[in-house]
Amino acid sequence: MGSDNLVIKLENIFLSYPDGRNVLSDLCFELPKGSRTGLIGPNGSGKTSLFHLILGLVPRTSGSIGLMGQEVETEKDFRQARKKINLVFQNADDQLFSPTVLEDVAFGPLNLGASTAEAKKIAQKTLKELHLSGFEDRIAYRLSGGEKKLVAMATVLAMDPEVLLMDEPTTGLDDVTRERIINILNSLDKTLLIASHEYDFLARTTKNIYKMEEGRIMFAGDAARLHPHYHIHEAGDVPHQHS
Amino acid sequence: MISEIFAFGSSPVHLLDPRLRVIFAVLFSVVTAVSNLFPTVCLALLMAIVLAVLARLPFRPLLTRLFIVNGLILFIWLVLPWSYEGTPVFSMGPLVVSREGICLSALITIKSNAIVLAFIAMVATMPVAVLGQALDRLHIPQKLVHLLLITYRYIFVIESEYHQLLRAARIRCFTPKTDLHTYKTYAYLLGMLFVRAAARGERVHQAMICRGFNGKFLCLHNFAIKQGDLAWILAMTTGLIGLGMLEWARII
Amino acid sequence: MHISEGILSAPVLTGGAIFAVAATAAGLRKLSPEKIPQAGLLSAAFFVASLVHVPIGPVSVHMVLNGIVGLLLGWAAVPVIAVALLLQAVLFQFGGITSLGVNTIIMAAPAVLCHYIFKPFLSKNHTIVMAAAFACGAAAVFLSALIAAAALVLTGEAFREVSAALVGAHFFVMIIEGIITMFCVAFLKKVQPSMLNLG
Repeated sequence: MGSDNLVIKLENIFLSYPDGRNVLSDLCFELPKGSRTGLIGPNGSGKTSLFHLILGLVPRTSGSIGLMGQEVETEKDFRQARKKINLVFQNADDQLFSPTVLEDVAFGPLNLGASTAEAKKIAQKTLKELHLSGFEDRIAYRLSGGEKKLVAMATVLAMDPEVLLMDEPTTGLDDVTRERIINILNSLDKTLLIASHEYDFLARTTKNIYKMEEGRIMFAGDAARLHPHYHIHEAGDVPHQHS
Repeated sequence: MISEIFAFGSSPVHLLDPRLRVIFAVLFSVVTAVSNLFPTVCLALLMAIVLAVLARLPFRPLLTRLFIVNGLILFIWLVLPWSYEGTPVFSMGPLVVSREGICLSALITIKSNAIVLAFIAMVATMPVAVLGQALDRLHIPQKLVHLLLITYRYIFVIESEYHQLLRAARIRCFTPKTDLHTYKTYAYLLGMLFVRAAARGERVHQAMICRGFNGKFLCLHNFAIKQGDLAWILAMTTGLIGLGMLEWARII
Repeated sequence: MHISEGILSAPVLTGGAIFAVAATAAGLRKLSPEKIPQAGLLSAAFFVASLVHVPIGPVSVHMVLNGIVGLLLGWAAVPVIAVALLLQAVLFQFGGITSLGVNTIIMAAPAVLCHYIFKPFLSKNHTIVMAAAFACGAAAVFLSALIAAAALVLTGEAFREVSAALVGAHFFVMIIEGIITMFCVAFLKKVQPSMLNLG
C-alpha cells in the first residue's frame, strides 16, 4: 500500500500535558483512504487528545503528522487540512455555538468561501439529507440531546470532508438516535475514524478496530470478530465451548 | 429556570420586523424616560398597555415580571414621600409626607411600568437569537453581537451545570445557612462553574477553528419590511409625536 | 446591581450612555475575535452566577460578582457586563434600554478599577491573596453602590435619602461578596491558576 493512499499518517508522536504527564508516547498510526476504522480504549486513554492533535488543535510535543499525503507543520497547513478532515466533537453543545440551527450548519461553508446564499443552500441540503428538514430556525438550546448530536454532525458534513473523525458519538444518546447515526455513517462514502468504547456500535459502523493503550495504538482485529456480548450460559457451570 | 416566556408567539407584534421593534422600543423608552409630566407618562402607559394587549402577552408571567420590577419602585415609595421636602399632606410622628414626594414617586412608578411593559411587548417578544441578528443589521459592532449570541447560547448549558453541581452538594446534605461553610460552598460551586465555562470556551473555540473560523462572524438572517410593518411605523410614530407634544409643546 | 427604568434624569442617562459606549469600545478593542468564545462563556457563567441567591439571615441576596469579573477579565469586563445586563433586561426586565449605559458603568467601572488595584496582590503569599480577594469583592460592590447613589443624587436632591439607604442596604452584600470572592479566588488559584494568568 503506497503512502499516497494514506489520509492520516502519524509517526512517533509524543504528546504531554503541561504538567508533564504523557498522553501519547511514540504513537504510530496509518489511516488508508476509504477505510472505516474504530478506535477503542478506556476513558483518558488519549483518544480525544489524538483527534485534537490530528486537527492541529493541540500542539504535539514531537513526531510527524501527514494529512492527505502532505506533511503538516504550521497552523496554515492545518487550516488547509481541515477542509478535508474534520471532527464531530464528543459534546454537541461545544460544537453548536450559533443561536440557530441554520446559522450553525452554514458556518463552515461560509468560512470555506461560499456566498451567503450558497451556504444557506448547502445547509438546507445537508439538513435534508440527515432528515432534519424544518430544523433551520430552531434555537440551539431548545433542541433535545439527540437532535443536538445530529445537528452537530450536519455542521461538519456540510463542509463535505473526505475524512470524518468522530469522538464518542453515542455518549448519552437514546437508541433511536443511535440507530439514526449508524444509518447515516453507513450511508456515507467517506473515510471514517470513530473513537468509542462501545464495541457493538463500532462493529456495526467500522471494519477494522484499533485499540488505544498506554498512549499507543495497536491493531486489534476485524470489527466483525472482535466484540464481546453478554449472554446467559444455559449450560451453567458445565464446561462448554463457544462456536 | 431561565426561559424566554414571551419570545415565541404569533401575535401581530411577534410578526413585526424585529429591527423596527428594537428601534421603536429605544425611541419609546427614551421619550418616556425623559418625560416629566403626568399626561405624557399616562399616555405612554396607555400605549404600552395597547402594545402588551396586541402582543397577547401571557397574563400571569407578565404580572410576575411587573411585580418584581415594582419591588424596586416600592423601595422608592418607602423613602421618597417623607424625605422629599414640600407641602405636607399628613404626618406620622416626626415623618412628614409631602405632596411633591408622592407626586414624584407616582411619576416614577408610571414611567417605569410604561417602559418595562413596552419593552416586554416589543423586545422580549423575540428570541435573543433574533435580537442579535437585528442588532447586527442595525450596525451594532460585530464583536459585541457575537459576544451577546455566544453568551445567550451558553447560559442555558451553564445553568444546567449549576443545577447539577447544586444537586451534588444537596445530595451530601448541604443546606444553605448564614454561615461561613455555606458561603465557602457557594464560592466553590461558582469557582467550578467558571473553571468549566473557561474549559468549554476553549472547546468551543476549537470547534470554531475546525470549521474554518477566521475571526469573522456572519448573521444569515435577512429582514424585509412588510406592509403590516408600514402601518405599525405610522402608528408608533404618531404615538411618539403625541408624547412629544404633550411633554414639550404644552398644547394642553 | 441596577437602577430601574424611569427613575434617572435625562442628563444622567445620557452621561452614563456616553461613558458606557466609550468604555465598551475600549474593552472590545482589548478582546480579539479569538477570545470572544472564551469571554462569551465566562459572560454566560457570570450571568448564571449572578442569579444565585445566598442566604443572609432570614432573607437572601443575589450575587453581584463584579469584583471577580474584573479580576478575571480586566477591560474585557466592560463588554461582558454590558452584554449580561442587556440579557438581564431582555430575559427578566431587570433594568432596560435607557438605563443600560448607567447600569453598565455602575457594574463595570468598579470591576476594571478593582482589576488594577487588586490583581497585583494575587501572586503574593496566601494571606495577602485572601485579604486582597476579600477587599476586591467588597470594594467592587461598595463602589457600585456609590456610583448608583451618585447617579440618583445627580438626578435630583430629592433622592439623597434614597441613595443613602441604597448604600446602607448593600453593607451586608459587601461582606458576603468579599467572603465569596475570597474563597472563589482561593479555589481558582488551586484548581486553574491560568484563569488568573498566574501560570
